[in-house]
Amino acid sequence: MDGVVRQVIRAAGEILLTVGVIGLLFIGYLVWGTGLRAASAQRALTNELNQQWRQAPARGDAIDASPEQFNVATGQPFAFIRIPAFGRQWRFPLIQGTALAQLDVSPGHVPGTQWPGQLGNFAVAGHRVTAGNPFWSLPSMRDGDLVYIETRLNDYTYRVTGKKWVAPTDTGVLDPVPGHPRQRPARRLITLITCDPAWTGTHRVIVTGVLVAAKPR
Amino acid sequence: MYAWLWRRLPGRTPARAGVLTLIILAAAATLWFFVFPWASIHLPIDTSGFGG
Repeated sequence: MDGVVRQVIRAAGEILLTVGVIGLLFIGYLVWGTGLRAASAQRALTNELNQQWRQAPARGDAIDASPEQFNVATGQPFAFIRIPAFGRQWRFPLIQGTALAQLDVSPGHVPGTQWPGQLGNFAVAGHRVTAGNPFWSLPSMRDGDLVYIETRLNDYTYRVTGKKWVAPTDTGVLDPVPGHPRQRPARRLITLITCDPAWTGTHRVIVTGVLVAAKPR
Repeated sequence: MYAWLWRRLPGRTPARAGVLTLIILAAAATLWFFVFPWASIHLPIDTSGFGG
């Protein structure tokens, strides 16, 4: 009897230890593994974009003369996002879609919102942590910080004008005129979205900006 | 559990240690490349998307 109790206790201890080690390994995966996976996927996307843009060189049209058209399948890249406030090296390919399958690769364009340079609201979501932590510093962005979007035809510059915290269900921030679903847009906005607090899904940090320049590449 | 596994392994101590190392590495690789990627999508960790 004593032997059986001892065996059960030992087995329970071994199982707990094993679960603990697996948990630590999983944390290691989230912190480093997802970053490595995302980095290699992002390199492939970057090469893909560079190759596409070389094959179909920019025509040099100004934005107002010929608004840029986007026709991008889910998961496909269409632009680069650059935010100098996050560091000189900070640059990610933007892909279409913001399901976890896309966010785990790179920041994505929220389907149904406008495209870079268009009247309305160009919304981009990215992971705060994991997948290279692209939007780790989003909550510390300040008014006046610049966001550059490089597409096949143009370099768009947005200037940050505001920041707020909302619930994940508050999709009004995605409206062409944020919070006014039926108004016609008169401005060209960008909305950057990520999680807060980090690692959770309880709130979203929303950084908004307005287009201040669009130069042909 | 581990004592039982150790007794089931063939050979003498060095051989057993080698086989055990392989088993542990294989288990870790399975977790890292298959289980964790699946789990990270299905757990509510940093769901930065919207409307969900």
